[in-house]
Amino acid sequence: MRVFYIAVLMLALTTGANAQQNYDVSLIPKDLLPYASAVVRNEEVNIEVKDDDNTVYHVKRAITVLNKNGDDLARIVLWYNKSNPIRGLKGLTYNEFGKPVGKFSEKELVDQSATASYSLFDDSRVKHFIPSIGSYPYTIEYEYEQRSRQSLNFDDWQPNSEPGLAVEKSTFVFICAPSFRIRYKEINVPVAAVTGTTKDGLKTYTWQLKNAKAIRNEPMSPNKEEYLTSVKIAPQDFKYEGISGSFTNWKELGQWNYDKLLASRRALPAATVQQMRDLTAGITDPKQKAKKIYEYMQGKTRYISVQVGIGGYRPFLASEVDQTSYGDCKALVNYTQALLDAVGIPSWYCVVQAGSRKISLLSDFASQGQGNHIILCLPFKNDTTFVECTSQKIPFGFLSDFTDDRNVLACTPQGGKLMHTTKYAAQTNLQARRADLVIGDDGTLTGSVNTVFKGTQYDNREDMLDEPRTEQLKRFPKLYPSINNLEVDAYTFKQDKNILPAITEDLKITARDFATNDNGKLYFSVNPLNRTGRRLRDIRNRTTALYINSGYTDDDVITYKLPAGYKPEFNMPNVSIEKPFGKFTVSATVSGDKLSFKRHLQLVDGTYDKALYADLVSFYEAIADADNYNVALVKK
Amino acid sequence: MIKKISLLALFVVTSAASRAQDFRYGGITADELYLKTYKNDTSARAVYLNDYGTTSLNIGSDDHVQIMHERHVRIKILKTQGFDKATIEIPLRVREQDEEVAEDIKGFTLNVTEGGVETRTQLEPAKIFTEKNNKYWKTVKFTMPNLKPGSIIEYSYMLRSPYWWYFPEWMFQDDIPKLNSKYEAHIPGFWTFNVSLRGPYKLTTNNAELERECFTYHAAKADCSHLTFAIADVPAFTEEDYMTSRKNFLSAVYFELSEYTNLGTGAKIKNAKEWKDIDYSMKHSDYFGSQLKKKDQLKPYITPVIAGKTTELEKAEAIYAYIQKNVKWNNITSYGSEGVRKTLDSHTGDVGDINLALVTALSAAGINAEAVLLSTRANGLINKLFPVENDFNYVIAKANIGDKTYLLDATDPLLGFGILPLRCLNDQGRVMSLDKPSYWIDMPTKQRKAQTSAYDFTLQPNGKLKGTITAYYIGYDAYEKRKAIKKFNTTEEYVENLDEQLTKTKIISSEITNLDSLNLPITEKYEVEIDAFDKGNQAKLAFNPFFFDRITNNPFKLTERLYPVDWGMPSDDRFILNMHLPDGYEVESAPQGLGISLPNGGGKFITNFAGEGNNFTFSNVFQLNKSVYEPEEYPYLKELYNKVIAAERAEIVFKKK
Repeated sequence: MRVFYIAVLMLALTTGANAQQNYDVSLIPKDLLPYASAVVRNEEVNIEVKDDDNTVYHVKRAITVLNKNGDDLARIVLWYNKSNPIRGLKGLTYNEFGKPVGKFSEKELVDQSATASYSLFDDSRVKHFIPSIGSYPYTIEYEYEQRSRQSLNFDDWQPNSEPGLAVEKSTFVFICAPSFRIRYKEINVPVAAVTGTTKDGLKTYTWQLKNAKAIRNEPMSPNKEEYLTSVKIAPQDFKYEGISGSFTNWKELGQWNYDKLLASRRALPAATVQQMRDLTAGITDPKQKAKKIYEYMQGKTRYISVQVGIGGYRPFLASEVDQTSYGDCKALVNYTQALLDAVGIPSWYCVVQAGSRKISLLSDFASQGQGNHIILCLPFKNDTTFVECTSQKIPFGFLSDFTDDRNVLACTPQGGKLMHTTKYAAQTNLQARRADLVIGDDGTLTGSVNTVFKGTQYDNREDMLDEPRTEQLKRFPKLYPSINNLEVDAYTFKQDKNILPAITEDLKITARDFATNDNGKLYFSVNPLNRTGRRLRDIRNRTTALYINSGYTDDDVITYKLPAGYKPEFNMPNVSIEKPFGKFTVSATVSGDKLSFKRHLQLVDGTYDKALYADLVSFYEAIADADNYNVALVKK
Repeated sequence: MIKKISLLALFVVTSAASRAQDFRYGGITADELYLKTYKNDTSARAVYLNDYGTTSLNIGSDDHVQIMHERHVRIKILKTQGFDKATIEIPLRVREQDEEVAEDIKGFTLNVTEGGVETRTQLEPAKIFTEKNNKYWKTVKFTMPNLKPGSIIEYSYMLRSPYWWYFPEWMFQDDIPKLNSKYEAHIPGFWTFNVSLRGPYKLTTNNAELERECFTYHAAKADCSHLTFAIADVPAFTEEDYMTSRKNFLSAVYFELSEYTNLGTGAKIKNAKEWKDIDYSMKHSDYFGSQLKKKDQLKPYITPVIAGKTTELEKAEAIYAYIQKNVKWNNITSYGSEGVRKTLDSHTGDVGDINLALVTALSAAGINAEAVLLSTRANGLINKLFPVENDFNYVIAKANIGDKTYLLDATDPLLGFGILPLRCLNDQGRVMSLDKPSYWIDMPTKQRKAQTSAYDFTLQPNGKLKGTITAYYIGYDAYEKRKAIKKFNTTEEYVENLDEQLTKTKIISSEITNLDSLNLPITEKYEVEIDAFDKGNQAKLAFNPFFFDRITNNPFKLTERLYPVDWGMPSDDRFILNMHLPDGYEVESAPQGLGISLPNGGGKFITNFAGEGNNFTFSNVFQLNKSVYEPEEYPYLKELYNKVIAAERAEIVFKKK
């Protein structure tokens, strides 16, 4: 009997092993190897909605790491909190030949707080683990389950989200009761969803990606979301932290946010209401009133982020901010709304994806998780103004490149409304410089430099305005690194804090040894004030479109008075290039003892045909060459 | 700048428990309230009006010894930029059931209107958060409410710790100034701590008193040393570029346990008073000495590795390479190991796991090997006044082969045999061997970084330069080059990327040698074509010989330097350019040869031009010979760079005959 028993067991084991995929590295299709540091051999992500407050993720993943650079791609990183516990992680490691060499389980994972650096407290945590077998290549295979006590947000499926990661096969299955209605958004999926029914009568939606090559990092690419494969899913009827809701579009989702998370948070103490009325007494223009109140809010509050449970979506009470004078973006927007309410100015709470990359909420697909920040919209008649409430110094109505030019969701009492924030065009983001400089016989540079920073270029100087003088003086040599021995003898800053703000910087400078005397020649850099410096990497076989995220204009005019008796040895740069994405002109001319240098550079934001990338490379090349040009003066 | 504080100073005996010298909670003066700027530093964004701490050892409710550390702070916020000082984080050690706790946390913000109306906003207990960072640490965090420029914040708390051997240190200095910073320590006679002071500022108070019978444990009674340290008007600490750990420079007082009495038995226990004590305890510890003795356990692992190797050096190199490749570093620094065999089996480990396994494996192969304890650059300098095991945070191996020694760190698979990562090059290391007393060695070893490039170009009639570039990378530069190449999956991808980066240079063929022979210099050789001139047909052409790596920015920009410049290790960069001009061209003018040096052999910059007919040679050497430059040397260093930048602007002009 014993022999028989063992035989059965062995049979079972072999059957099990046969069901396993063979992770021999030589079986990876050869065309997946270029630019790949790791290859997803097989991935199965299942999301099952068991109830409106119970979603279960089942994830199974096998990744082959080809070299050291792939370690990070194979790293297991699991975010969780009390409402999203992880269960039963277990995994195996395989060597190059697909032979199992080790195993691991949840207890090997390192558990850490995931509070972001900008946050005081956050209830999210992370478990992570880098497997190792001591040599490359190797394969790890693991699976785990994660529960989520809600049905509002589902993780996107993004099978090839990182450069250097190739995908042999990834499958995504969404499972729910036939009565649970969903909407989904497919982006760059090779095959549209296949629907089916399980033997238990549940509805399934399945997507698959096979044999996707590794993506190479290409400079000036569009946002990843635009060229990678992903699927987003949104429910119709859902529950979140015990609150039910239903939506099929932005209007309904905005309505739910307004009704359930925002509407009842704005009560203020009577004294504060009165204070706002007193503060704005005598001002008739509602925009001026709003500005006054906004500036009061800026002076009173500061940004402190605390995120716990529903607090991730629901602001602190306005009365609480009134008392503590701090809050996160939600709390400060909500508080500003409350202050504006006191003087009868309507305002809308807006969800936005913030960051210098412009990422819009999808106009054709409503879902809750698309934004990471809140700003405020003031819907005046014929004038829509957006304001940022987390900065103590940003001018009223100015968004900077943090939230400009993108779709946001305004949560109004009448429902959600997709709006577009202010765009700062290339000609608006202006840095205009006029310099009058004198080069002495000994190579010393003296003179004055006047620069105006406007639009998003306002930020070039904004953060140093409040610094102490000693620190500001330390900053100038770093801001103008191409002038050695730069001494700023005197300077002023003038700030125009308008909706389109500007800063004017006036410098009186001296720099010894600016020009080098060698063999009776005098050498100096013709453009020491504004060098782009950057050359673009040429990309052969580029796959993505050319994308310029934000545009700007730099205009520089420098007049040099040369020491007596010198003239330039060579012809000086004279370049003029005009392309769809921008223009660059530079010229240097000598007349008498005056050298006049003019440089104008404009880059226009937008998406362009990828074929234009080669032009952009030579465009930057021409800029760098002109910027690096050294004048050689010889005795007349 | 570490000073030992003598505890033999005269003790003043006080009658009763001496009075606490803490300032009164909430007792804010009108001067403090209306203070607008700090007179010694008008740029200060906030200033500590008072910073007070006291620590004592006593018996907790669980009948165990505990440390009680009280902190009481009053800060004046002068500008909005100072709001960061109102967010407080208290790190707490957590080990299994023994946890540190922060309790009695209280605080308030005081504001006064222009009309003189004062409002106090209390810190609410509900807004005090505890975050569990990881297995070993928790952090209590809170932020003070209702801040404005002009606010005064005041808070206090008590930290209770079962870890009585970690006597809290005191930082007199912060990145904002302090008017008063005072620390009191009450140390019962059952314990002896070594006290050391770091930083440039003199103590304005330095008292030692004796407190009678301040400590009782059942029948045992002890007097206490009551030490008071204070500094008034401590300036803000400002970080500078090229600086090692700020800990090396911050004004602070540190305590190290040297001896204690077992309260149960009355036995006196030495906690390393001298190196021989540390040597003894480490050699007999599970985490260190026992691991080094596990030669037999590691033999089966290394026998195949050294099979066929005859010399000790070959064996050592093979073992080093084996551990480098076989065990992945988990980025945790340590100097002990839970098990060297387990490390080899699990293929992953801390610094201690990896390098103690290396020492043991070398010994197992019959090679004389020792462990070297050290403190990484980030961890700061080591206290050399008295031995402190906890000052170290890293361990490496030292192999003694013939009359040579090699320092080895196997945590990085790209390091050559005998090359240490930059993080290790700090101060001195303590060599620990199983059969000799321990001793110091200098850590900034002879290690240096060097690269030499040779360019051989011929100017073509079309204005292009054709030729070869050969570059050799030696020492640490070889390591950095390997790292740069290995960022790519293949050398082809690396070269492709390089070619794409150098937009004006077309790489026609490439050859990288010794990429994986870590103990040899790595060589890159490229055949290239460079678009040097738009048109070859001009009468005159100007050429800057520093066309690849021209220095245009001076890294040293300060007018005044307070702290030493940390250059890491000596560097040596040189290149030689051979240029062949087509017939009909000649050199019209060339830069003058130049030689500039720093005082005391600190470094030099030399250029040389030699030409004959239509061939010329331009060569350049740039050396910085020290790892650390003192503040007095800063102006010279800065000026050297000025001259380098000026020199690198000059051009060679050739013309048509």
